[in-house]
Amino acid sequence: MTALALLFTLSAIGISETVYLIRKHLAAEKPICPIGGGCAVVLSSRYSKIFIVPNDILGLLAYLTMAFIAAFLVIGVAPLQWWNFFLKLLVGASSLISLLFTYLQWRVIHAWCFWCLMSAFTIWLSGIIILIN
Amino acid sequence: MKKPSLTILRVGLGITFLWIGILILKQPEAWAGYISPWAEKLLPLPVEEAMLGTAILDIVIGALLVLDLVVWLAALLAALHLIIVLVVSGITDITVRDIAILAAAIALMADSLPKKFITKIMSWQKQEKPKNNNS
Repeated sequence: MTALALLFTLSAIGISETVYLIRKHLAAEKPICPIGGGCAVVLSSRYSKIFIVPNDILGLLAYLTMAFIAAFLVIGVAPLQWWNFFLKLLVGASSLISLLFTYLQWRVIHAWCFWCLMSAFTIWLSGIIILIN
Repeated sequence: MKKPSLTILRVGLGITFLWIGILILKQPEAWAGYISPWAEKLLPLPVEEAMLGTAILDIVIGALLVLDLVVWLAALLAALHLIIVLVVSGITDITVRDIAILAAAIALMADSLPKKFITKIMSWQKQEKPKNNNS
């Protein structure tokens, strides 16, 4: 229950963050970049999309799915085992993708994006919570 | 982005409402225990159904806050909802927490009111001042 509350909280933070980035993207405005200063460089790079889907939209979908699964598990919506498995799979895959994006920022783009790193840490923290639990 | 402090307040409050809504959906009968008997008698529908309605309202408020949509309205609903909660549940161990959430909702509402509304209030105040001076 506590783990699910933490996972839900982290996914809600992720939803809020990705919604902010999507809004800025739609308004053709640059997001503020509190630390690092490379947000615009990273977010406009060729790695900001997987095929044709922007990463912020993929992130939003992942966080929404996480939040719904955590809620389903708390309320007890069947099939619980499948939700549990899917949650682990989603967080595992997202952690690996976040690792790849962090590597790209470090070695390829040579710029750090605050929002991308925040999202990566959110996902990794979710992974740690699942592992501990 | 607005002030970071307000963003943190908005998201934090949103998560709180979403999570409480989910917990009420899980066990509406347990949460119904917080309603005072006098308030329960006033309900036009079974208490569990009323709690389910409360859960949906909490989730809607939380979603609006997290998604940064009509924040002033969500915060207003949150504040009104908490006032009702304080009235119908009476003084309990968690009253102080409800007061803190109410204060947070009012603070968020005050800071996210639409500019049109604020301008209207300001112009209304300006009109009132000369009248007061004359009287």
